[in-house]
Formats: sequence, C-alpha cells, structure tokens
Amino acid sequence: MELGPDALAELLTSKGAKVEAVERPWEGLRGVVVARVLEVRDHPGSDRLCVASVDAGRGPVEVVVGVRNMGPGDLVPYAPPGARLPGQAEPLGRREIRGVASEGMLCSPRELGVSQDHSGILVLPPDAPPGTDVASLLGLDDVVLDLEVKSNRPDLLSVAGVAREVAAALALPFRTPGAVVPEGEERAADAATVEILDLERCPRYVARVIKGVQVGPSPLRVQARLTALGQRPISNVVDATNYVMLELGQPLHAFDLAQLKGPGIVVRRAAAGERLVTLDDVERELTDDDLLICDLERPVALAGVIGGKGSEVSEATRDVLLESAAFERRGIARTSRRLGVATEASYRFSRGVDPEGCGRAADRAAGLIAAWGGGTVLAGWVEAGAAPPRRRVRIRPARAQAVLGVPQTPTSVREALERIWLRVDETEGALVAEVPGFRPDLELEEDLIEEVIRVQGYDRVGETLPAVRQAGGIPPERRLRDRIRRAMVRAGLFETQAYSFAGPHDLALLGQGEADAIRIANPLSADQRFLRTSLLPGLLAALRTNRARQVRGAALFEVGRTFHPGEPVREIERVALALWGEASRGFPEPPRSFDVLDAKGALEVLFEALGIDDHSLGDPPGVPFHPTRSAVVLVGGEVGRASCRERV
Amino acid sequence: MDPREALRTLDEALARGLEAFARATTLEELEAAQVEVLGRRSPWAGVQRSLGALPAEDRRVVGRRANQVKEELEAALVARRAELERAAEAALLERDRIDVTLPGRRPRPGGLHPLTIVEQEIVDVFTRMGYRVVEGPLVETDWYNFTALNIPPDHPARTEKDTIFLDVPGHPELLLRTETSAMQIRAMERQPPPVYVIAPGRVFRQDTPDATHSPVFHQVEGLAVDEGISFSDLKGTLLAFAKALFGEETRVRMNPDYFPFVEPGAELEVSCFLCRGAGCRTCKGTGWIEMLGCGMVHPNVLRNVGYDPERYTGFAFGMGLERVTMVRYGIPDLRLFYEGDVRFLERFTGVGA
Repeated sequence: MELGPDALAELLTSKGAKVEAVERPWEGLRGVVVARVLEVRDHPGSDRLCVASVDAGRGPVEVVVGVRNMGPGDLVPYAPPGARLPGQAEPLGRREIRGVASEGMLCSPRELGVSQDHSGILVLPPDAPPGTDVASLLGLDDVVLDLEVKSNRPDLLSVAGVAREVAAALALPFRTPGAVVPEGEERAADAATVEILDLERCPRYVARVIKGVQVGPSPLRVQARLTALGQRPISNVVDATNYVMLELGQPLHAFDLAQLKGPGIVVRRAAAGERLVTLDDVERELTDDDLLICDLERPVALAGVIGGKGSEVSEATRDVLLESAAFERRGIARTSRRLGVATEASYRFSRGVDPEGCGRAADRAAGLIAAWGGGTVLAGWVEAGAAPPRRRVRIRPARAQAVLGVPQTPTSVREALERIWLRVDETEGALVAEVPGFRPDLELEEDLIEEVIRVQGYDRVGETLPAVRQAGGIPPERRLRDRIRRAMVRAGLFETQAYSFAGPHDLALLGQGEADAIRIANPLSADQRFLRTSLLPGLLAALRTNRARQVRGAALFEVGRTFHPGEPVREIERVALALWGEASRGFPEPPRSFDVLDAKGALEVLFEALGIDDHSLGDPPGVPFHPTRSAVVLVGGEVGRASCRERV
Repeated sequence: MDPREALRTLDEALARGLEAFARATTLEELEAAQVEVLGRRSPWAGVQRSLGALPAEDRRVVGRRANQVKEELEAALVARRAELERAAEAALLERDRIDVTLPGRRPRPGGLHPLTIVEQEIVDVFTRMGYRVVEGPLVETDWYNFTALNIPPDHPARTEKDTIFLDVPGHPELLLRTETSAMQIRAMERQPPPVYVIAPGRVFRQDTPDATHSPVFHQVEGLAVDEGISFSDLKGTLLAFAKALFGEETRVRMNPDYFPFVEPGAELEVSCFLCRGAGCRTCKGTGWIEMLGCGMVHPNVLRNVGYDPERYTGFAFGMGLERVTMVRYGIPDLRLFYEGDVRFLERFTGVGA
C-alpha cells in the first residue's frame, strides 16, 4: 500500500493523532558524493585554511577547507560545484579563496543535517565507494511527521506506536519490530541481580547485560535519524537507548556495570531527605514519595526521571547493564513536577509506558548495542515483577448507539475494537474487551465507545438537534452590563480590556498597600504579582500606550472585575472610564481637549440609560485624582469618581 | 396747462418711469423710483391735478391718457418688484449656500470591544436555541477547575495548562480558572437536569504574551445535559452555531481529540468562510479552520455533581473567543485586544452596538 507523507498526515489527524507539521529536514540536499582524501597541504595564503586534494571517482580535484581533521585515505562528503546543501537556496559555485581555486567544498555533519556537530569535516565509514551519493548512503531523504500527542495516548509517543495506529486505520496487519538477539553463553542472571521493594510503583524491571562493548559514535545513519527527531547523538550505547525509546516508546537507561555495587539493582522508595547527584550535576534532596534505582549500596538513578552521576556509561565503559522498566505513572509525574525535571523518559513514564513491552525493548536495545559497539549480550533477562494482568472493560452496543447517535450492533462494535488490537469476548447483552498494556487510557465503557467511533470514522456521526424544552435566558447582571456598555459607547467612549493583574506601582497610585490586594503565587512578572483592585491603572496604561504611539486623544472605558481580600476573595464588577488629549480634531468644531466635564457628561449619559436621576456631586475624592478638578459622584451613596489628572 | 403739453408730460413721465424702474436694482431703489414717478410731487401727479382746469373734451383725452400711463407704470412696477424680490431671495439663498460636498457631520459614538461584539453574537445564537447564560467567579478552586472535571492531582493535563495560583494564606486551593469548563460543574450543581447553558468569560494561563499567547483570554463554554443527548446532537448543534456565525453554506467536521472531562472528545473544524474550502491564508491552505474542543460529558463529571450517568448524557464544548474573533475579523495578533489602542478599537465602531 502506497501512502505519501501528506496523505499519511491527513489520515493520522482524522484518527486523533494530529500532525502539526510535515518536515523535510534534508530538503534541498543534492549532489554531495563520497570522496577519498588524497592529500592535505597548507594553504599558501592562510595559517588556518588548508587545501585538500580529493577524488570522487573522476580524478583529483582541490578544495579549500577550514579545518584539518581529515587525512589522506579518509572518506569525506564532497560537494562539487552545482551541489546543494539543506537550507541553502543557491547551488554551490567555484570559488577562489585567498588565491587558491576551490572546486566546491567538504561538509561537516551539521552542513549535511546529520548532527549539530560543526567542529570538523564528517569522516565517513571506510567501506563507502567514492562517488556514492551521500544522501542515499546516510538515509538523508526521509520525511519527519511532527505529531501533537495528547496525554491520554502515550502509545503514540513512538514510531512503532504510530505505525500500529496507521495499520489500525487502514485495517492492515501489524507486527512490532522483532529483536533477535545473538546471546553469549554467560547468563545475565549470574552477572547481576534485580530486586523491587515497591511493586506498586515499579511493577516490572527487566535488565539486560552486554559485556565487552567498545563505546564510540553510532552509525551515521542513526545519528542522522536521531538528529532529525531532535535528539543529540552521544555514543553508540546511549544512542541505542534513545533510538529504541523513539522506536518502541520504552525509555531505557544504560548503567556502567563496573560502577554498580554488587553488581545489582534494587528499586525502592527514597528516604525523606536522601540525596542524589543527578546527571545534570545537581544535588537533589528527595522525599519518601520519590522512587530510586539503587545498586546494593547507594542510589544510582531517580527512577523514570533522570540518571545519577557516577554510574553512567562513559568512554571507558566496557560492560553495560541496560534497564527497561515500568513505573507507576502518577508517581513519576509527581517527582518530575516537584523537582522541575522533565526528560523524555519522565514525559513518557508519567503518561504510561506499556509494561508488556519492557522485555522486547531491552532485547532490541541490547541487540543494537552489540551491533554498533561489539561485545556480547549475556543470555536472558534479569527480571523482577511482571506486567500486570490486562484490564477487561465492558461495552454495551446499545449504550454505544445511544451515546453516539450512530447505529451499532454487537458485530460493528466488536469489529471496531478488534481493529485496534483489543480482544473481545461476548457475554450476555454486552461485550468485554481485553485492553493491551499499550492503551492505559482505555478504562471505562465511554473510552471504548470513543474507540468505536474513532475506528468507524468521526465523519459517520450525523447532525441532529436536541429538543431544548426551555426558553433561552440572560441573567439580569448581564443585561445591566450590556446597557452600561451601550451607554458608554453612545457617550463616545471606546471599550477596552486590560489584564486582571496589578503591580506595586498600581497599588501605590491608588493609595493602597499590599494587604489590600490578592497576591499571585506564580506571577508572570513582578509588575503582575497582584490581582487588580481597580480598573483605573489599566485604563491609564492604555492612555499611555496611545500617547506613545502618537495618537492625539483617547476616550476609553472598561467593564470588568476587580479582586479584593474577602471570604476568601471578593470579586467586584466595575465600570471605569478615562479620557485624555484631543477631544475634537478642529473640524468642524474648534479643537479642544477632554476635561473633567467630558467624564461628567459620560456619567450623565450612563445615569440616563440606567434611569438614575438622584445623583449629585460631592467633594474631591483625593488620591489619585486632581485636587481641584475632581468630585465624587453620589447616587444615594458613593458610586463613582470623576476627575481630571494633569499628567498621564 | 396746455393739453398738448400735458400729453407730452405724460409721455415723458411714462418713458422716465419705465427707465427708472428698470434702473432700480434693489427694492429700496424701486420704492424711491415709485415715489418719484407716481408720488404726489411727480410730473404725473401734476398733470392729474391740472385736469380740472382743462376743457371737458381735453380733460377726457388727457385723463384717459393719464390713466393709461398710470396702469402701464404700475404694471411695470409690479413686474420689476417681482423681479427684484426674486433676485433678493436668490441673493439670500446664495449667502446661505453650504458646500454639500464637504464631509458629513456625524455624532461621534465610541465602540464596543471586538471581543464583546463576538461574544454577544455567540451568546445570541445559543440563547435563541434555548440556552441560558451562566456566569461565575474568575477565582476558582482546585475542585471546580480540575478535580471535578476528571483531572485529579498528578494528571498530566494539570501540567500542560500553566495555571496561575493565588497566594492566599489558608487557601492553597485557589487559582485563576484556566477554562470556563469550571462553570459546567457550577451550573449542574445549581439545578437538576435538563441543563442547557452557555458560559462566556475570562480565563487565565501562565503564558508570556506574544502573537498567539496571552495570560488573559476568553472562552465560551456550552453544556447540554438531558436524557438521550448524543454525539450527533453535539455535531448538529455546533453545525447550527457555525452556520449562524459564519454563513449558511458553512460545513463542520470533527476529529478525535482528548480533554479529560469529555469522552468521546473531538476537535471541531469549520469550513473556511473566506475561501469556502478552496484553501487560503486564513485556513493555512487546508480549507478548514480549527474552531473548538468538544465532546460527550465524561461520566465521572456527571457523577461528581450527583447526576446519574446511566440516565443522563450530555455534551460540552468550549471555544476561544479571541480565536473566533481573530478569524472573523482577520486580526493577526492577540496582544491587540489588550492594548487599548484607539486606532484598533475604532475599526469596530458601529458594530454590535
């Protein structure tokens, strides 16, 4: 079955795996070929540059190079004149660099989009025939789909998971990538131990041991793929764990076996106050809610979140213990949030990783480590715990039909659920579906009902209207608010809206202190660390904005809420207005500026609209109003203040 | 007076009189000319006075002539007066002339905020369908904003929404509501089913302002809970809404989406009202515009307010008011809504008021 990237994106979006972007990271790469370095000599006009003579199968050519990490015999990517590199609009030309003609260039990994490395020319594996197209050699022609995966679908956080979804959508068979691991004679269980002390927080732990690994860079194809997916290539062992995480969705951690006391693994809760230095060089104080991976003496990793310092794989590592475990998701979420550490692993674990997939992921990664770094995979797993039994969820076809408004039969429901790999049994009047470990989101009948219509297609849902047996209604406060707004508009004012926040300056302007305002625990900025107690500062800020933008005058009002200490917080709905600058542009009336009488007039319009006629003026209200151009307006009691300030 | 001289005097009086009337350019001059030509001291009056002294035969001839002259002069006078009056009126009108090609003078009303305008339109559509508007507090508790909406502590959805929490001693549960969905719970607590409500209002996220993010924005939430409410009722209701807001030819489609408080959940897309599905900048070439999130009310949510989910089902939807307004009016940047720049606000004068 053929399906282009855009058709695939559309299919996935229609099934709820929304494709945000279709990226082509190597778009534009063309004409770069493998060349053998024949000679590297100094550039006659520069200390830094050198001149390399290379042969891509058509005889020697000379190129000027800025670094000198390659030597005679090395294979390098050579971009002859006319070749194109990703992100460059123009093809390469022949150039003269300080008096030496350069027939194109040699490329760094970054220039090819293989990795972010720009420290030197990419040296290719020694088996590539000169003249070979580098893009096809390294697989630099793929397309990346960028998916928005909602928190209920952790199974889509992997390439295999997305492929499984595509297979379900197209009713095709699906097979998880197999992992046949050539194993050595020594048994892993003899090389290390694994013990889980908290099976609730860690239901399953699978370890693989690989001995005699040569840590080094991973294959360029792999580096290119990891880079395209936003990962930084590090070493073959670490890259293998990341690669398998992206491929199968199982986060893995590689320990240097020699650094593990025992050697053995113990999974337990931290003691309150226990400390661990994590891989990012931060010493973290833990609580008894955090889960630890320990060796037989000390913690070596914060389970599911981040590894510990001292037990990680380094260039000197020879033997590796590979962790592939399942953790209870809420616990990982708590630890990650409390410590403010969010990693690819914690992201996946806090959403739910398939406990049935631990062994397969361990096998796959062990196989890749051995393939990329040599060494021997020890026989078998070291395992503790087990994948929990599969959840069984009941679904009534009649209920599905009632909720969806789309006709359903036991057969239609069963077929839909089987398409997404659920096993369905029939009992009296209902179906019972067995949910595989990769779908932690399917807990209730409603969850299955959604799956039914998702498989059948949301476009099968019809369009009906419920019989609403009541008249619509608008509450009196809202009607009043609308009348106020319309009166303000008739009076010539423009409605504006400001954020509901306030800073210390705003409070000071109003003659208020911090005790008069509600404080925000996590404000965006110091100027927004309170909830507003008045609409006036926001209006004045809007006037300032207008003035700063060379507007000559503005008449603004806002209807909105203010917040005050109360039981525990009191919200008050208010209207406020502010006028400043030029009231008339001088045609047809003579030019003039707004003053307090304009504000008074606006209030009079408002009072008329609201049928208020017993209003009168009181004394100047004081801060923040102008002492001789202001008054309190009284309606029975005090309802507002009109004033003119000299400066905005 | 000699009769011949009298007749000559009358001929002269007629000729001079006609000339004097014609010469008069104003009503005042004409008045003066009238006195001069026909007044008591005029030559014509002199002839009239001398009639008595003439022999009967001459008196008849001269008298008849005098009457003829008077009639002619008076006719000329009336005609001239009418002429001058017309001219005077024309001059007066000319003095009053106003250049009607100048710009018209209008009352200068202000304008409603575009968010108010669009919120009002949306609310109108749903109140016409029988929905009631409910409003509630902006300061919410953890229960209404999260837990009751099937977002328990440690749920990943909590971290995805950057909540603004309040620092009120003794009240760690207080926060600024992140969605108007909190009103679903309050509305259902207030009454037993059926519930058909629409809840517009302000919501908050801890987002730094840019073209597409704002720490303050607005949503309109809708909720229908009754016996026999289905997913197709949701789609039909939203189709009716989309047609009312964007035009009769509008189509809708739903894609699966996830919100913890609905199941099944969906994202609603509306056919682009600008290009009618052909693909343009507003719809990013797809022909469809993402409009809102929606779904069937999660049974846990119904249970949390004491409704029996076996008996009652419901749907809910929530849309970003800024988003709808930006699409509707082609507004490129969220920050424009909150700056108070009158040049922006003036664009909406007369709309919705």
